[in-house]
Amino acid sequence: MAQSPTTIVDEIGIALANIADAATGTFTPTLRLGVTGLSRAGKTIFITALVHNLLTGGRLPGFSALTEGRFIGARLAEYPDATIPRFAYEQHLAALTGKPAEWPESTRRISQLRVVLRYQSTRWLAGMRGPATLNLDIVDYPGEWLLDLPLLSLSFAEWSAEALERARRPASEHEAKAFLDVLGGIDPLKDANDVDAEALATAFTQYLRLSREDGRALSTLPPGRFLLPGDLKGSPALTFSPLPPQGHGVRSKSLYAMLEHRYEAYKDKVVRPFFRDHFARLDRQVVLVDALRALNAGPSAVADLETALTAVLSCFRQGESNPLSRLVSRKIDRILFAATKADHLHHTSHDRLEAILNRLLANASRRARFAGTETKSLAIAAIRATREGEIREGGETLPTIIGTPAEGQVLDGVTYDGQTEIALFPGDLPAEPDSVFESDKPLALNFLRFTPPQKLDRNASGDAVLPHIRFDRALDYLIGDWMR
Amino acid sequence: MKRPVARPVTPERDDAEPARTPRAFEPNAVTVTEADFESVPPSDDLVSPEPRRIGWVGRVLWTAGGILLSAGLALAAERLIRDLFARYEWLGWTGLGVLGAFIVALLALIVREWSALRRLRVLDQLKADALTAIATDQPAKARAVLSELEHIYASRADLARARQSLKDNAPHMLDGTEQVHLAERLLMGPLDARARTLTAASARRVALVTTVSPRALIDVAFVIYESIRLGGAIARLYGARPGFFGFWRLAGAVLAHLAVTGGLVLTDGVVEQLVGQGLAAKLSARLGEGVVNGLMTVRVGIAAMRVVRPLPFETQKQPVVKDFIGELANVTQSVKETP
Repeated sequence: MAQSPTTIVDEIGIALANIADAATGTFTPTLRLGVTGLSRAGKTIFITALVHNLLTGGRLPGFSALTEGRFIGARLAEYPDATIPRFAYEQHLAALTGKPAEWPESTRRISQLRVVLRYQSTRWLAGMRGPATLNLDIVDYPGEWLLDLPLLSLSFAEWSAEALERARRPASEHEAKAFLDVLGGIDPLKDANDVDAEALATAFTQYLRLSREDGRALSTLPPGRFLLPGDLKGSPALTFSPLPPQGHGVRSKSLYAMLEHRYEAYKDKVVRPFFRDHFARLDRQVVLVDALRALNAGPSAVADLETALTAVLSCFRQGESNPLSRLVSRKIDRILFAATKADHLHHTSHDRLEAILNRLLANASRRARFAGTETKSLAIAAIRATREGEIREGGETLPTIIGTPAEGQVLDGVTYDGQTEIALFPGDLPAEPDSVFESDKPLALNFLRFTPPQKLDRNASGDAVLPHIRFDRALDYLIGDWMR
Repeated sequence: MKRPVARPVTPERDDAEPARTPRAFEPNAVTVTEADFESVPPSDDLVSPEPRRIGWVGRVLWTAGGILLSAGLALAAERLIRDLFARYEWLGWTGLGVLGAFIVALLALIVREWSALRRLRVLDQLKADALTAIATDQPAKARAVLSELEHIYASRADLARARQSLKDNAPHMLDGTEQVHLAERLLMGPLDARARTLTAASARRVALVTTVSPRALIDVAFVIYESIRLGGAIARLYGARPGFFGFWRLAGAVLAHLAVTGGLVLTDGVVEQLVGQGLAAKLSARLGEGVVNGLMTVRVGIAAMRVVRPLPFETQKQPVVKDFIGELANVTQSVKETP
């Protein structure tokens, strides 16, 4: 039986927090933007580019508030929650604009930031009051943790059954063998003891780590804290593993009961606060999907990605919202599905990428639209690392992208050193989105990772102008109507 | 006494269709009757076709008439020069020189008119292209529209900054729709604002003149004069250079537009018009007429804008009569206050 992801107490807390927000936000409304994406989808880059473009009034011709001259400026502000680290915007930007420019490190902990936007409304009542302000709250977190959200509605037995079924699949035989051996040597109904629990948890963590490094089963690996434990490392809430489901009447002192108890504790003490504090009160959501990496890895990875995204997105609160209902319950009324890293493709393939994205998210977006949420799909690149060109070969004109592949990227047996610039034709995306799921005919595709642009334009005040693809449209869709 | 008779009234059942037994065939033997979508090439042109041009009979008529007329004129000129030569030789040479100058000037005029007509056609075509670019979202089509706009406004000093901004930003946009929208925002935005100002000023003048003029004939003449002036000014503003024939074409288009949208006026500020008229008429009959004539001029201005504007209204707001009511109210106010 699926459980609700929150308890009654949580709900009351959420409603009270919303009322408090509404009270303090009468004059300065707060827009909570949920940047959602699995690990390596580009959340940190997206947030860095968003903050930088807003702060410096970047090159955003499609962002109506800026083009129409209503946007006055932005600044960073103190985040109201003092216990959470600040998003390291300056460090990330320094990495991107340094010499040599590098992508920021992958996120290992939660962080947040508030951007205060100043603009003037065109509506007559709001416009008469002069410039208005809007707080934009953004949270960055490791994408692995997102996979925990579906656990909130799964019991220990359900989760165990799912996890074990996945571990026993022939595809993951190599990674899961050690864990399954340990599991086979332990009777779940014996007396609870920490030695066995630790042995199981270690083997399980090792299995998760191996399958992440393998890159095939890139997405469906809860619990996320096992990979990035933070300061919870070694605590009982992180020392459990799936066990074969048992019938009724399990002794309360058995190993099974202990691990079940710990699983519930993990949900209650780790996952639920994360969900309640950061995801239960969002206004807008952008779902970043790195479809290209999954396409590189093959059909099973694509199928995994679809499953994971559908499960994760079903946890969010979507639906129409109006000023009155927002007092107590905030709902996501607009979702942007963004296929990131569109700069790894020539623009003539972008519509196919969007079609694949739509196919991947078909279930999630149907559900969202049923709830009354607007959705939109875009192929974007928050920071564009490549240029475009054409190459003639054998009487054929191939659309290519020009960029410097990151160190260690391999194509046709050539390993790149991170210095040489190449023109790459990554292969044609299929015209039929469904064919990315078909395992019998592998697609001839190879997307390389590129280094960030090494030479950036500067604007009049000396700030770097980050090149992008359709980032302005994404921004306009997400926050544009709040600044009307 | 008659015998009881019974006749069947239900018609005789015709032979029921023999039930066909299910069978299976080899797929090769089948002729596919399903309509194949792929075989019908998708229409590239998503814009409505142009109205039909003049038919071939008309064309023959006009061409033949034109040839005859030119021949007559040429003959007359030839005879005139010959006569002049017969009188005095120097007179003949002078006449020839004057005729040469006349022909050169005529040619120049024709070239100018032709280029003006062509420019009008280019603007029309540009609007159609822009609509296609927006509908298909193809960057190549949008780029063609942008370069044409750049060409049209290349000599305009007032749009220098907007053009530069467009040049800087457009290469970074990969969607046709976005590019056209950007061009509209940057180039059409300032032009729209000035067209509005022109229209409002014209309407004010008309309202004022109508209110104070002693005779109805003067009103009519002034309304016509202002309308012509406003149409020309707006056309020049958007980059059309209407010459004589170009102006007639433009006037025809504006009139046609007014005729078509006349019905739409019901939804566009008719209430304000009636109210304005009613209020003003109570104050003074002349004032009411002034407001009505002013609104008429506003409609001419709006129609001219819609006809010559090279991009469709997508991001910018279409002007409506309602926007100008305030201006006219100001005029009536000021007229009322002046004794």
